[in-house]
Amino acid sequence: MRNARFEGPARAVRAIGRVALAALVMAGCHQPASQAPPPAPSASEPAHPAQKPIRIAMIAKSSTNPVFLSARRGAETAARDLSGKIGVPIEIVWLTPPVEDGQIQAQRIAQAVNEGANAVLVSCSDAGKLTGAIDDAVARGVPVMTFDSDAPKSKRFAYYGIDDFRVGEQVMEELSKLLDGKGKVAILAGNQNAPNLRRRVDGIKAEAAKSKGIQIVGTFYHNETPQDAAAEVIRVNNAYPGIKGWAMAGGWALYTKTLLTDLDPKKIKLVAVDALPPELPYVEKGLAPVLLAQSSYLWGNVAVTKIIDKLFYKKDVPEIIPMDPARVTIDSLGSWARQLRQWGFPDVPEEYLKLK
Amino acid sequence: MPRAMVVLRRLLRSQQAGLLLIIAALMITLAIAAGSHVDESTGATVNNFFNSYTLIQTATDASFIAIMAVGATVVIISGGIDLSVGSVYALAGVVMGLALRNSSGGPGAVWLGLLICVAIGLAAGAVNGAMVVGLRVHPFIITLGSMWILRGIAFVTSKAESIMLPESLAHFAKAPLGLGTALYPVPMLGMLAVAALGALYLERTVMGRHVFAVGGNAEASRYSGLRLGRIQVGVYVLAGGTAGLAAFLGASFYGSVSCGDATGYELYVIASAVVGGARLSGGRGSAINAMLGAVLIVLIRQSIRTLHLDQNYEWIIIGCAIVVAVVLDQASARFAARRLAEGGRRER
Repeated sequence: MRNARFEGPARAVRAIGRVALAALVMAGCHQPASQAPPPAPSASEPAHPAQKPIRIAMIAKSSTNPVFLSARRGAETAARDLSGKIGVPIEIVWLTPPVEDGQIQAQRIAQAVNEGANAVLVSCSDAGKLTGAIDDAVARGVPVMTFDSDAPKSKRFAYYGIDDFRVGEQVMEELSKLLDGKGKVAILAGNQNAPNLRRRVDGIKAEAAKSKGIQIVGTFYHNETPQDAAAEVIRVNNAYPGIKGWAMAGGWALYTKTLLTDLDPKKIKLVAVDALPPELPYVEKGLAPVLLAQSSYLWGNVAVTKIIDKLFYKKDVPEIIPMDPARVTIDSLGSWARQLRQWGFPDVPEEYLKLK
Repeated sequence: MPRAMVVLRRLLRSQQAGLLLIIAALMITLAIAAGSHVDESTGATVNNFFNSYTLIQTATDASFIAIMAVGATVVIISGGIDLSVGSVYALAGVVMGLALRNSSGGPGAVWLGLLICVAIGLAAGAVNGAMVVGLRVHPFIITLGSMWILRGIAFVTSKAESIMLPESLAHFAKAPLGLGTALYPVPMLGMLAVAALGALYLERTVMGRHVFAVGGNAEASRYSGLRLGRIQVGVYVLAGGTAGLAAFLGASFYGSVSCGDATGYELYVIASAVVGGARLSGGRGSAINAMLGAVLIVLIRQSIRTLHLDQNYEWIIIGCAIVVAVVLDQASARFAARRLAEGGRRER
């Protein structure tokens, strides 16, 4: 039997210790520059000391995915530019979870509204989970816009992104051209729960069905990490030695270098959505002669502009704002590389910046 | 001694005093540091943390984890571990979603959904318990396996689709109960009810005392005539049942289910139990403390955002909090044991 007399003080010690711990750990967390509030305006920028800021909560799918970091950069740039133009400070509050989780995103929408956000910008990991949270936010007077991955049944006022089904078709069209309309093709599909990726896969399959010579060997899901994706490609290639092409709903596998050495560009061709800096060597080596790039920077940049159009200028914003993917090939590699650098990607290989 | 002092001393000596103090301290800190905003609709200044929306939302976020943590704590007290609760949550939700897919809704759908979720949870728990007892393999291994198996079944049966649930379930889980628009206390009330029932079971029933006895010393329990196998199966059934109930509330609240739901939540659940003082070697733990542990973890998570700290530190902060909580807990247990031994020597 435990002695209650000694339990009280011991628990108090524990309690104090735990509080101290929380305080110490939190105090130890410095805010890096990217997390800090917007910098004070310089002499050349208009100051807005008395203005109440417009706070836009940005909730992407995962903070470990570089495309969303680029979207954040785009949003922050737009916020800074528009802030100067309209004379009202605009803050981007980054509430993206570290890993994809629709439930956590729904919680963060509620939190943003509770803390007085003026608008919410979200890329839905799970449209079903987020529909209720978006509708609750709208009911409380906070407009919501989606980007990249939509929640079409919700009350969001606008969606900005590519038409996923059409992009899936385009991936297969490009791959079919590269394979002269015949050969075994595998589909790399990413997270099986993401509605936008499922629509891309549907588009790939629909386009493949139009071509008699193309045979789909399977659709392969995986964790959306570069290593998992590359490992899946290698596993499937070993299991289906006759594969001539990969239709990739996302570029995860190409963020690694391993496929550059493991796959022979003379025997196999890849077409993928996205064209971030680590993927560009695949274009140069001819393994992925075509990449269909989403301008992830523009997700944030354009979406913030549209939100300000609605909130500040009271303009009508179209419900669907389509984004056309950019076609990146060896001919456009130089200009695309420079575009990426301009959008703030630090890791664009120098040699591509010098290309025409 | 005045009666108020007696009550205060009793409160301070209670099992929950430490955690309640921490939670209160953290809430006060957040209320002070959170800042405020002006509510557009009323024009009133609202504290960013200390407002009814954030408080109920925090409790809601904690509730799904806390309900599972109560069941997991019973398993931990018995000396076992259950890594499959997140997968049970996903499977129960998916089966409910498939069953209600063509339902017209109404109160019947709510009851049927609850029944399905709890039944799937109990069945999964019974299989876990039967394998732990029957195969005599460490529960870590058994539940690690069932974690993958159950998630896989959820994946195959749902075909990885996100399945929308009938509106009536959301109406139930998001009933404002007179509190006002966008205030949803049902998950919080579910959490409080499960924690109270768990505390009653553990502290006021013979079965509950048997669980402590088995976790404290399995051999001694066997020699004193307790039926270890039955007790062990029972605790896993209970853990499965709470996971099923959490799945029902969570899925109804968010309005859809998918096989990826609650991925990784088993770690939050076990962390809640451990922060709540449950000893992984068995024999100690509390249902109320498990709930408070879940609330504390969610509060820490909330504080990172409310204080606008870098969210990339979230895992580091929660990890440190768990490790330090357990280390402090063990140190205080050793301190108490030493004081007890010294007291005994003095009496002799």
